[in-house]
Amino acid sequence: MSLPLSSASPPLSPLPAPVKAAVAASVCKVQWAGVELHLLPERALWWPQGRTLFIADLHMGKAASYRALGQPVPGGTTQENLDRLSALIGKHSPQQVIFLGDFLHAAAARTASVMAALAQWREQHVSVAMTLVRGNHDSRAGDPPASLRIGVVEEPYLQGPFALCHHPQLHAKHFVLAGHVHPVCRLSGRGRDSLRMPCFVAEAGQAVLPAFGEFTGGWMVGAEVGRRLYPVGGGVVWCLPGVG
Amino acid sequence: MKRELQDWFTQRGWKPFKFQKEVWSAIARGESGLLHATTGAGKTYAVWLGALMAFGAVAQVKRARAATKNIALDAREKTAPPLTVLWITPMRALAADTLRALQQPLDYLKGEVIDDDGVIHPVAPGFTWTAGARSGDTATSERSAQNKRLPTVLVTTPESLSVMLSRADAREVLGSVKMVVVDEWHELLGNKRGVQVQLALARLRAWRNESDPQPACPALSARDLRPAQAERKGVGSAGARINPAGAAEPALPGRRRSAPSGGSAVREATSVGALSIWGMSATLGNLDEAMHTLLGHNNGTLVRGAVPKKLIIDTLLPPRAERFPWGGHLGLTMLPQVIEEIDKSSTTLVFTNTRSQAEIWYQALIAARPDWAGVVALHHGSLDRAVREWVEAGLKSGELKAVVCTSSLDLGVDFLPVERVLQIGSPKGVARLLQRAGRSGHAPGRPSRITLVPTHSLEMVEGAAARVAIAEGHIEARTSPQQPLDVLVQHLVTVALGGGFVADDLLREVRSTAAYAGMSDASWEWALNFVRQGGASLAAYPDYQRAVPDDDGVWRVPDARLARRHRMNIGTIVSDASMAVQYMGGSKIGTVEESFAARMKPGDCFLFGGRLLELVRIHEMTAWVRRASGKRPAVPRWNGGRMPLSTTLADAVVQQLAHAGEGNYDTPELQCVRPLLELQQQWSALPTPQTLLAEVLKTREGSHLFLYPFAGRHVHLGLASLIAWRVAQHAPRTFSIAVNDYGFELLSVTEVDWPALLPEVLAAGIQPHGKQETSSAQAGAVEPASPGHRRSGPPGGQRTTRSGERGGNLLHEVLASLNASELAQRRFREIARVSGLIFQGYPGEKRSSKQLQASSSLFYEVFRKYDPANQLLLQAEQELLAQELEIGRLRASLARIATQQLVVKTLARPTPFSFPLMVERFREKLSNESVADRIARMVEQLEKAAGGSVLVGDAAQVKGTLAFGQEGASDRADAAIKRPRRERKPSRPLPLL
Repeated sequence: MSLPLSSASPPLSPLPAPVKAAVAASVCKVQWAGVELHLLPERALWWPQGRTLFIADLHMGKAASYRALGQPVPGGTTQENLDRLSALIGKHSPQQVIFLGDFLHAAAARTASVMAALAQWREQHVSVAMTLVRGNHDSRAGDPPASLRIGVVEEPYLQGPFALCHHPQLHAKHFVLAGHVHPVCRLSGRGRDSLRMPCFVAEAGQAVLPAFGEFTGGWMVGAEVGRRLYPVGGGVVWCLPGVG
Repeated sequence: MKRELQDWFTQRGWKPFKFQKEVWSAIARGESGLLHATTGAGKTYAVWLGALMAFGAVAQVKRARAATKNIALDAREKTAPPLTVLWITPMRALAADTLRALQQPLDYLKGEVIDDDGVIHPVAPGFTWTAGARSGDTATSERSAQNKRLPTVLVTTPESLSVMLSRADAREVLGSVKMVVVDEWHELLGNKRGVQVQLALARLRAWRNESDPQPACPALSARDLRPAQAERKGVGSAGARINPAGAAEPALPGRRRSAPSGGSAVREATSVGALSIWGMSATLGNLDEAMHTLLGHNNGTLVRGAVPKKLIIDTLLPPRAERFPWGGHLGLTMLPQVIEEIDKSSTTLVFTNTRSQAEIWYQALIAARPDWAGVVALHHGSLDRAVREWVEAGLKSGELKAVVCTSSLDLGVDFLPVERVLQIGSPKGVARLLQRAGRSGHAPGRPSRITLVPTHSLEMVEGAAARVAIAEGHIEARTSPQQPLDVLVQHLVTVALGGGFVADDLLREVRSTAAYAGMSDASWEWALNFVRQGGASLAAYPDYQRAVPDDDGVWRVPDARLARRHRMNIGTIVSDASMAVQYMGGSKIGTVEESFAARMKPGDCFLFGGRLLELVRIHEMTAWVRRASGKRPAVPRWNGGRMPLSTTLADAVVQQLAHAGEGNYDTPELQCVRPLLELQQQWSALPTPQTLLAEVLKTREGSHLFLYPFAGRHVHLGLASLIAWRVAQHAPRTFSIAVNDYGFELLSVTEVDWPALLPEVLAAGIQPHGKQETSSAQAGAVEPASPGHRRSGPPGGQRTTRSGERGGNLLHEVLASLNASELAQRRFREIARVSGLIFQGYPGEKRSSKQLQASSSLFYEVFRKYDPANQLLLQAEQELLAQELEIGRLRASLARIATQQLVVKTLARPTPFSFPLMVERFREKLSNESVADRIARMVEQLEKAAGGSVLVGDAAQVKGTLAFGQEGASDRADAAIKRPRRERKPSRPLPLL
């Protein structure tokens, strides 16, 4: 029995202001903080001018920590994550990769196999500088071992026009790039079709990246005045019209 | 002992019924069986006094012997006998009442009497039985006392029994059990809790057989036991006896009944001192099978209880049917009449189908009759125990005038004062209707009466249909789930904790249950591997283990932390994470689902426990609230399963519609709904048993197909997926599927030529002899034969039984259609929880266990990708087929469709039948289009909207074309249009930290 009275939430604003047409290129180019950035369908952010790749919420070893705590999750996600990262690095040849927090999932994730896979992966990209902005999971899981040569900093970490953070926030001077919430959004249309997809979220003064890691959940973000959503699906980053 | 108990019985002014005597003597003969009787017929004492007569004498005999030989009793014999009778009840709430009933004869036996000479002496010298209850509600102090020594009779739930089985000393404390009684077996039989009971019984049975070759009751000589078989054939005038060969078993479509394994079952049942198992059940269409499932063998005694009372079924009819709302409404237009009925009767139970509906009705009743505050109450499973107990006490004493309730009051002790039962909305099945009707009219000479209160017009037809079905004796059957591996996996860990197991022995034991009798060696091996190393291959799950065999081959759980977690999570009831609701600085009121609470902001109001509450804050898994007034509230939704209309009732409804179609409007219900049925006939057609009605409609939403097989919502979901999948083989498409109990809707954005395609896709699996394809699914399961997927099989394969091949195709096709939908993923939720994948957290735990929590959909995805051979995935598919989609019923429906004439009507506007489907908000999707194409279409539409064109909700558009029925509820209808059709989470600002 559907109950019309329940949980009435306001509908999306019915008359959105006209905006530019949606771009359906596999990469979505945006201007944030006055510089050009590329939203990649691999759920990563590329800053061409700074030759920097931003990755949020890798959650390395999440499945391994489940297993260590007695939950049977099959292995393979760690290697898959690293392979995707390697492919991205190969494609864009960044000078540096900056992780926006939650590099390791938990202390229990520091198993021999995960650490070995990480070390091997780091070997392949010795020339690339890597920095981790410490996130809430990192505080508990501990910093990556020094042998991985990943610099660890606290948020906000200032780089060019950006304040790099793990938790979404506003910064007095800089545009914030953050992660933490694993944003996803729902797109719906005629014929009662709908899809749930990870997305980039941009608001005044800050933007949030989708989680890069496999085996991570999501936090539903709705449309709002002053907010733009860039869902990732079908190998494409889409740009939705804003509301209001 | 027998005489003393009969004394007690007659002292209370009772005379034993024939069925009670039958049960007493059957138990005395050491037999097991099933007692079929309605509540309030005296079934508890039939079994309980039988147990006391058979097993209570033991101590007495020993005592007497000691007394005559003048031997001092040692301390052990002065204390109560060890746990002897286990009494399993499906609901915690029933445990206390049951215990009270069991206690009464015990108190008498332990008391004293004055004989004719004025001498005071004990009633039953040496009788020292004790009674207790153990469930999730049991206080910690009592629990720890029980841990030292269990009472002689213990009332418990399936879950608590499993927890006891997981104790390291399980065999020591439970091995003494001689008899198990399962109350309300019909409630457990058809679900995984019943499977849990089957496995636990197998455990107890095995211990009994090994440990106690002595006669269970010295009162009986070997001579009494030996001719039990012969006796059974001889007796049996009133009680229906079961043919041990099972010749009379009804054949069930799509489910193969498993025969008991070899002769062991017979040996077990007749062997001296075997565990005695007695079930009690309400009316079912397959009592023989119900008994077989409980006992694990056919060798039992089926006793039929006293004849049910006179039954009246009627319908509360609205003054004018055409003013009546259609679908998705709450039927509140019937409120004045419901109030009138409550007013007329002394005590009324008002049953609703959902908790939310109960909240809304309660609120409406109190708003209309403020003078009823305090005498009309609300009862549902999410209310705090104290609240529920208060309501139950009020019902028993007759202080309450009416109680609005859900299935929470379906079972249990009798509320003698209840005079009337009202059922809001469809009763869904004949058995359920009988059960609810049976809650009324317990006073002598009064009939049971249930009055249906329709929430939409077609439900009026159900009232007339139910009467016919009952008159013809058509009542639904319930069957056990087959080989659910998730329950087995849980049981393996339970048994590994409960003293450990040797694999081969446990396999034999597990196969002695009806649910696992046909389990393959491969499934068993997989389950063992799953608990040992996560999956079939060790490589996939490094560093993981739960249970492992030690050097002697005994499987145990080495990790104490895992052991604790397992014990806390035993059970097969899956509910969403819930949050306590509590007054600021005051008492607890109950629980709401976490997902509901998460959508609320402080200051928001919601209806709960019949009160308007304002959320103050959420802290430590508790929603703190205070009373509010004036604001418009939300109503919590609890995600209970939605029960399908049973085949029995659905068939009866079609019969009634056909009857009406011929112009026979001869019952009050049909007369009332006549204008709408005539409208349906005029604009389209009425379904009949011989025709299949299809309606086609084009709107701005796209191309709609409505089909009415009247097979219940589960089967409709399967049929809809199947047809959508078949059509999508011609060109990639996305379908939105809506189902109800009468039919389903397929909606596609792109145009579909249904009149041309439908006959083809319906016929694809059901050529003329399609009717034969009943149960030979496995034969051709690997032979896909859909267009474009045909694999060239061996030439011989073509000639194998045509029907078998088609049956396999159907299975294959349905599975393929499932892969294109999200159904299997949803089913996986329960399986993941039961098998221990999802960690529920400890009850009352304040800290969340977030680092271990992941949603079942995440598990589903990661399994599909990295361990596709995982049997739990396969189980999700199989359960989906067997339970959610009811593949047996689905096959039967397709076979029936093959015999029916397809009637396709192109509609100008929605008909009375199609409208409820059109506005159904809960929908499934099936798509084989590329994701990018679907997104592109949706984005394009957003763009168009952004460009200035107005998006109109479909409800508004539908309303414009409607020419019937809404004027009575126009305010509400308008409100419905303003509401968004899809539930959206309110958008929140990004958290600033």
